[in-house]
Amino acid sequence: MIQANSHDDSAHGSHDHGEHHAPPAQFAVRVLRQDAPGAPSYWERHTITRENDMNVISVLQRIAAQSETADGDKTTPVAWDCNCLEEVCGACTMLVNGKTRQACSALVDKLLAENPEEIELRPMSKFPVVRDLMVNRSRLFRALQKVQAWIPVDGYYDMGSGPRVSPANQEQAYPLSECMSCGCCLEACPQFTKIELKKQEGETDEAFKAREQAAFDRGFVGAHAISQVMLFNNHPTGAMNAPARLEALMAEGGIQDCGNAQNCVAVCPKKIPLTTSIGRAGRATTVHAIKKFFDR
Amino acid sequence: MEAAVEAARQGTFFSRNEFLIRRLHSLTGLIPVGAYMCIHLLTNASTLGGPEMFQKNVDLIHSLGPALPIVEWTFIFLPLIFHAVVGVVIIRSGNANLSSYYYVGNVRYTLQRVTAWIALLFIAYHVFHMHGWFHNAWWLENVANNELGGHQFDPHKASSTAAIALASPLKKLFYGIGVISCVYHLANGLWTMGITWGVWTTAAAQRRANWICGAFGIALTVVGLAALVGVTTTDVDKAEAYEKVRHEMNLEEQQRAEAEAKRLKSLSPAEREAEAKAQAEKEAKAAETKAH
Ligand code: HEM
Ligand code: SF4
Ligand code: SF4
Ligand code: FES
Repeated sequence: MIQANSHDDSAHGSHDHGEHHAPPAQFAVRVLRQDAPGAPSYWERHTITRENDMNVISVLQRIAAQSETADGDKTTPVAWDCNCLEEVCGACTMLVNGKTRQACSALVDKLLAENPEEIELRPMSKFPVVRDLMVNRSRLFRALQKVQAWIPVDGYYDMGSGPRVSPANQEQAYPLSECMSCGCCLEACPQFTKIELKKQEGETDEAFKAREQAAFDRGFVGAHAISQVMLFNNHPTGAMNAPARLEALMAEGGIQDCGNAQNCVAVCPKKIPLTTSIGRAGRATTVHAIKKFFDR
Repeated sequence: MEAAVEAARQGTFFSRNEFLIRRLHSLTGLIPVGAYMCIHLLTNASTLGGPEMFQKNVDLIHSLGPALPIVEWTFIFLPLIFHAVVGVVIIRSGNANLSSYYYVGNVRYTLQRVTAWIALLFIAYHVFHMHGWFHNAWWLENVANNELGGHQFDPHKASSTAAIALASPLKKLFYGIGVISCVYHLANGLWTMGITWGVWTTAAAQRRANWICGAFGIALTVVGLAALVGVTTTDVDKAEAYEKVRHEMNLEEQQRAEAEAKRLKSLSPAEREAEAKAQAEKEAKAAETKAH
């Protein structure tokens, strides 16, 4: 603390940090709430007393404990998702001050340094809202299914050890394997647009799911799935299924829907080289398409 | 219900062939549309070299004669229309979000779409302004030519008609914006194409490619705007005088024309006027004898 002070508040008052005030004792939080899927959304304001080392999750916990809005009205706790609390599961992804990120790694003091007045929380805009800040990201996982983002090695007998993976290959694969399926890359992508279906009167869960998956399959798969195809296609065992994954990337909603805005790579919290994966997948599908044409 | 799922799976012609159509869209942007645009801008820049040079280039293109419309339609208009129609579908499929994510890549993505709209508007106007859209005599005379200011370019009087068509500063400004938009669209499109087709994949490679595409874009901007300087500095009277001679000669007289051009260039305005008068008289006489 003393060290930080001697840095920021020393003689140079006109320095960039000159206007850097001490964090406020209290701050406002504006939450975009929604009571049920498809229901209208509404803003709710809360006043929170600042404590050291808060993150957005602890803010949401305070809101639940207070159960009162800034105007003193009784309210229900804001619903949100979280799990690991250390930015590895992706469950707590939401829009914090308009940007897609994990609530657990969004530190309050940093947010207040940007805007001391208020913190704004919204659910992700590209996925159907379940309630408040909780969204249904099943489309993200459906995309991984569509491109077969796994290596099929299960069987009834021992297939022995797999081929060796070169260090160079490992080095390329490791960053891609860090994806936590958070959906930030999809939220920020201008080519990834929301698909939200409504369950019809008398429709069974199965029928609705089938209809929903068919709709998901026609939408853009997204950068995360493209990157996973590169991860598994470049693995010596995974390469056995490479053509099937490329076919999936060339189906409707495949890699061709990417418009190269490169927002995905800019927002990925795991700093996964998504646009390199997109370029490599572009090359692989180019070669695959030519091969297919001449091998037919 | 099952039928709805089945129908969704089947999709439309566009959705079933999305990959192929998108790759064709990407390809047509460069070949032939982008390549044509480079040639077109280079040809136009030759207005800087005077009416002789520009007329020679235009004549070269028009030496294709009756094959010209076929070449124009297969290599320019049809690919361009395809690129534009699919382009509009692509633009409508996306959702620009620059205000939330103000990144360089996103600015470029958005500009690619903005310049696409400008290019569409500009090219539609440009083809009307210079050629009147359709080479149909009735259409040109009754619709394009008179009321709406179209069909201003005459390939036999290349420099003079181009200079007159672009005499207004407002038109020059609009052409400047149109050309810069088209060039940005091509240069940035070249860069995104490299990612789309998998030519440059890593971040470092994409950065290197960016320099090359940027340099290409700047160079083509200079070439494109050079044409506007060219039509501004064109002396319409001199150009018309030259074009008249040029138009009336045949190929064997090429050399004489070259000499004539040199001679005309060295004339003073007064001498030129006198000569034009004499020429007009001569023509009137010729017409008279013909009538008898
Ligand atoms: C001067 C004429 C034009 C040229 C030279 C041109 C060239 C190009 C090139 C080279 C690309 C890159 C393709 C890629 O990223 O794979 C491109 C992309 C694009 N063009 Fe054009 N284009 C022209 C006119 C138009 C017009 C009139 C429209 C529609 C109104 C349009 C819409 C688009 C769109 C939306 C893209 C982005 C495609 C994507 O991100 O996948 N273009 N263009
Ligand atoms: S590069 Fe492609 S996937 Fe990434 S944000 Fe842009 S359009 Fe989306
Ligand atoms: S690629 Fe990055 S942003 Fe996208 S889901 Fe994975 S971790 Fe999240
Ligand atoms: S709770 Fe797992 S990433 Fe935030």
